[in-house]
Amino acid sequence: MLIKRNPLESSNVTGYLFLLPWFIGFFGLIVGPMFISLYLSFTQYDLLTPPKWIGWQNYIDLFGDRRYIASVTVTLRFMIIAVPTQLLAALGVALLLNKGLRGLGIYRTAYYIPSLLGGSVAIALLWRNLFGMNGLINQVLAIFGIQGPGWVSHPSYALYTLIILATWQFGASMVIFLAGLKQVPTELYEAAEVDGANKTRQLMSITLPLLTPVIFFNLVIEVIKSVQVFASAYIVSGGTGGPVNSTLFYTLYLYQRAFNYFDMGYASAMAWILFIFLATLTAIIFWSSKHWVYYEDGGGRK
Amino acid sequence: MFKRSLWITMLLVFLFVLTTACTSNTGSNESVNDGNNGNDDNQGEANNSDDEKIELRMSWWGGQERHDLTLQVIELFEERHPEVKIVAEYSGFDGYFDRLTTQFASGNAPDLIQLGGSVNDYVDRDVLLSLNDYVGSELDTSLIDESAINAATFNGNLYAMSLGTNARGMLLNKSVFDEAGIPLPDDEWTWEDYTEIASQITTSVDGVYGTQVGSPNIFEYFINQRGKVLHVDGELGFDMDDALAWFQLWEDIGDQEGLVPPEIQAAAPEGDAGQSLIVSRDVAMMEIPSNQLGSFMSASEDEFVIHIIPYSSETGINGVPLRPSQHLAVNANTEHPEWSVKFMDFFVNDLEATAILESDRGVPVNSDVRAMLIPEMDEISSRIVEYVDWVSASSDADFIPFFPGYNESGDLFQEIHESISFGFMSVEEGAEVFMDELNAIMARHAD
Repeated sequence: MLIKRNPLESSNVTGYLFLLPWFIGFFGLIVGPMFISLYLSFTQYDLLTPPKWIGWQNYIDLFGDRRYIASVTVTLRFMIIAVPTQLLAALGVALLLNKGLRGLGIYRTAYYIPSLLGGSVAIALLWRNLFGMNGLINQVLAIFGIQGPGWVSHPSYALYTLIILATWQFGASMVIFLAGLKQVPTELYEAAEVDGANKTRQLMSITLPLLTPVIFFNLVIEVIKSVQVFASAYIVSGGTGGPVNSTLFYTLYLYQRAFNYFDMGYASAMAWILFIFLATLTAIIFWSSKHWVYYEDGGGRK
Repeated sequence: MFKRSLWITMLLVFLFVLTTACTSNTGSNESVNDGNNGNDDNQGEANNSDDEKIELRMSWWGGQERHDLTLQVIELFEERHPEVKIVAEYSGFDGYFDRLTTQFASGNAPDLIQLGGSVNDYVDRDVLLSLNDYVGSELDTSLIDESAINAATFNGNLYAMSLGTNARGMLLNKSVFDEAGIPLPDDEWTWEDYTEIASQITTSVDGVYGTQVGSPNIFEYFINQRGKVLHVDGELGFDMDDALAWFQLWEDIGDQEGLVPPEIQAAAPEGDAGQSLIVSRDVAMMEIPSNQLGSFMSASEDEFVIHIIPYSSETGINGVPLRPSQHLAVNANTEHPEWSVKFMDFFVNDLEATAILESDRGVPVNSDVRAMLIPEMDEISSRIVEYVDWVSASSDADFIPFFPGYNESGDLFQEIHESISFGFMSVEEGAEVFMDELNAIMARHAD
């Protein structure tokens, strides 16, 4: 026989009450708007007059849109170059710092700071000036008699300056790598040394395999971050994605469509495609992790 | 048990969301009064009288000078009408329209809104108040130039007041011309003269190029010069040949070394006199709106003159119309239409107010105001007026707004120009993509 209890005394209720702020945020700011945008993606909506249902038209139009294709290309190119470069830089510096240097804390902080600042508007502005026609970079090149191009205003270079900017922010992944490196049991290295393995061999056979869970984590995070680049491209190109669409990141084009071209329906369709793409990509990475991610305790392996 | 408590929690969530949503709608005034109810009567009354004030919000973009002048006019209006309070929302040009769009979408747009050449975009979306009912009562248009009224009239309804008359012109850096020993062009120069002068400047002055690729405004004049118009009744008024001729013109100027390299032009932010290429001495000729002459002159030590845009040698047409610099419009959903229109009237017709504003937003559109201001103008302002008068007397074209979908068509224009000058497209390909996509934009905005 059940004993009736005051529902407020139930520990569950207390738990949910504590979760309330999160629930409000989750339903009010994430789930709600997501479903509204799903609806809007099937409409023509110019923000000022009521949305008009047009079915799949936005999704069909996307594939014939020259600038949409340009934005996908730019974003993919960025992802393919920036993610590995950044992970390699982070791992490399983490390996160096893991040698038990003096003043490790200072180095760690110094390398970490860019990833705190890097996403900010101020740094993007600084970047734009550093790499401008008469910026510091070109002034230094001029000392060696090289006439540098307009790094951010020439379509062949603009994306790469943004890739450098993203790579420079490797600090966050580096800190995670450092933590991962500390987890590798020293007895494995000692055993390897006894067996006569050199440093490279130790790196390949001990460090990297045991670091794969951390690489996996960083990879997922960086891939997600790379398709969300917005602020730096917006600032560096003055909001245009130019010159000649060379910095037209997916999110930047989405923003232009929504707020400059009064085309919220189209932008919503873009957002949903991005969401599905990202979910699929993450799922693929998770699935592939079975084959290359090793856990020391054998957990996660069949 | 679990289900039930979950249900209660969800209910709580929704109640909470509901209450926050409601309070944010009614604003903060209520909560102020609540706190005062039992407390202090005097303070409560003071707050009440503040609440009864009619509050209008006005937004504009501009530089610091315009902000200061506009705020002075607002103060003057509040002095005359103590029952009205005007909240100013001002910023630079960057992001102004993004914010405005979002404000309209959330039903939170200001009562009084400064607009530029894209009034038609907002009229199409029914978000502006038609002023017809107020003309003759709150709004006096008897002394306003007819062209200014026409520029803001759509389907027989007046939707905005022009804040000044402008004429675009070619800004010439006279100092560079002098250094190069090139005489200033005469009043009836043609595109051939322009091309030649541009290449002469590049070759004879070190580090200075002739000019930069023309803006959408010159494109408009160029089309006018060919006896056509940008658009009529929602369709393009020109065809492939005209687009080809336009892109070929700039290709030719570039071939003769009259153009600044595209990577330099792409780096210059738009609409900022201080960072323009003519001020940084990268180019010697650049098209500007006449009311900006002062900003350019004060940003450089060089001597500048404003000159008419080159004529077409084939048709002899110049194509530069007088145009409104900016507009002031009223939000269709304003709670105080009469007061908003009254302020608008004050802004363009009141002699004291316009004396403060002078020609910062172009030459005043009210003839009495002009008569009062002109004798007292400084040198730059009188040169602006002189130029606008000259265009007014010689103009052979009417003002029509830029293509519908101002941002989109403007971006397309710039992208095609960059694609051609960076060598990603030939002139033919560029013209073709331009026409195709422009037609698509026109079609999208027609429904």
